[in-house]
Amino acid sequence: MKPLSPISLRRWSSVHRWSSLVCTVFLLLICVTGLPLVFSDEIDDWLYPRHYADVVPQVGPVDLDQIVAESQTRFPGERITSVFLDDREPQINVWLQPQPRSPARKPAPRHYLRFDARTGELLENVQPNGKRRWHVMNVMLSLHRDLFGGLPGELFMGAMGLLFAAAVVSGVVLYGPFTKHLAFGTVRTMRARRIKWLDIHNLMGISTIVWVLVVGMTGVVNELATPLVAIWLRGDVAQRLNQYKDAPAPAPTELASVQAALSTARRAAPGMRVTEITFPARGMGSPWHYVAWAKGNMPLKSRLFSPVLIDARTGKVTAVIEMPWYLRVLEVSRPLHYGDYGALPLKLIWAAFDVVTLIVLGSGIYLWVGRRRCVTNDRPRKQPKEVFDRKRA
Amino acid sequence: MSSLRRPKRLARRHVWTAPLALAMLAATGLVAALLGTGTWRVMSWLTLSIPLAVVARHALMRR
Repeated sequence: MKPLSPISLRRWSSVHRWSSLVCTVFLLLICVTGLPLVFSDEIDDWLYPRHYADVVPQVGPVDLDQIVAESQTRFPGERITSVFLDDREPQINVWLQPQPRSPARKPAPRHYLRFDARTGELLENVQPNGKRRWHVMNVMLSLHRDLFGGLPGELFMGAMGLLFAAAVVSGVVLYGPFTKHLAFGTVRTMRARRIKWLDIHNLMGISTIVWVLVVGMTGVVNELATPLVAIWLRGDVAQRLNQYKDAPAPAPTELASVQAALSTARRAAPGMRVTEITFPARGMGSPWHYVAWAKGNMPLKSRLFSPVLIDARTGKVTAVIEMPWYLRVLEVSRPLHYGDYGALPLKLIWAAFDVVTLIVLGSGIYLWVGRRRCVTNDRPRKQPKEVFDRKRA
Repeated sequence: MSSLRRPKRLARRHVWTAPLALAMLAATGLVAALLGTGTWRVMSWLTLSIPLAVVARHALMRR
């Protein structure tokens, strides 16, 4: 590696300056809202504690067909969309969708019936927060992910993430020339305040670069989830379902046993755990199939799902679908972005890195705002004047 | 901590030694907790804490 020439140093400086200027406000928002989002599971448990009976008679595995039938009896006008089999708590959730009175109307939000997975007892009917738009955590999530803008908002925030990556990379390039006279971590507190904050900006930026880039880039990948899933459903999945194209979708009364579908899926995906069965539906998945979502057991593999398509009339396996690479990337991106794969200490570490990133962003703004009052007599020698004399920009 | 400025340029490898070491520690930590629980998790917590501790030490140190 040769030292940067004056011209390329100036170019990198302007990349750093302009990419940061555009994205910093959004990144500040992302970091501020990201802090509570790291702990969303804990906050949710605290706001809405779930209770279970202490002593449970061993009645053997609960029959899903009974649970589904009971749900349908309680809400006869609604459609069952999926059954969620929790692998962390003893609960089975049956999701229901109220049917709109006319097709033109927007359907009411989904809700679920929570059953005790050990006894089959109905515990409660839950209107999840996820459907309450103005719930505080949902406001945080919207500000973090899409600024209430849906898909365009997601793509916009993804673009801000890419600019942020450019800012980080150019920052690393500039780190060398800016610190070559200093021992690592030197913070010159005796000089002008601007120098102190420049040193802090450099120290914190360079020390957290791996975390920042990983969380930033996995965030960008997460913003692409909607188009990626759409590509997959229209490509791979549609191809698999080609033979069904002209068949009428099964009526609710024609559906095969869910319990049998679960057992079939377990046999089709040995060594994996089925955590959800979605019912036949247009739009998502397939109108002709149960989709059983099976995942692995290890920390990483538990993030990798394999959908098993089960013919909803016959109860036979149509296909075990291998996810394409781009959805695998998306699946691995999720834990790496959320920081939820190493218990509470990892979440605290995530929060600490988030705070450091906030300081880097804040000090970056301070350095830019204060550039005109730059009274530095600390120019490294043999450097082009322009780089440090930022007023020319 | 008296030397505020070194008269000579540090060798390139000195400039990058600490940042590279911190980067490798962080990368190890990010991957470790994906690979397993138990020891892997503890390893992840430790290796990811080191860059944070280094930042805190240098940024908060009075001199």
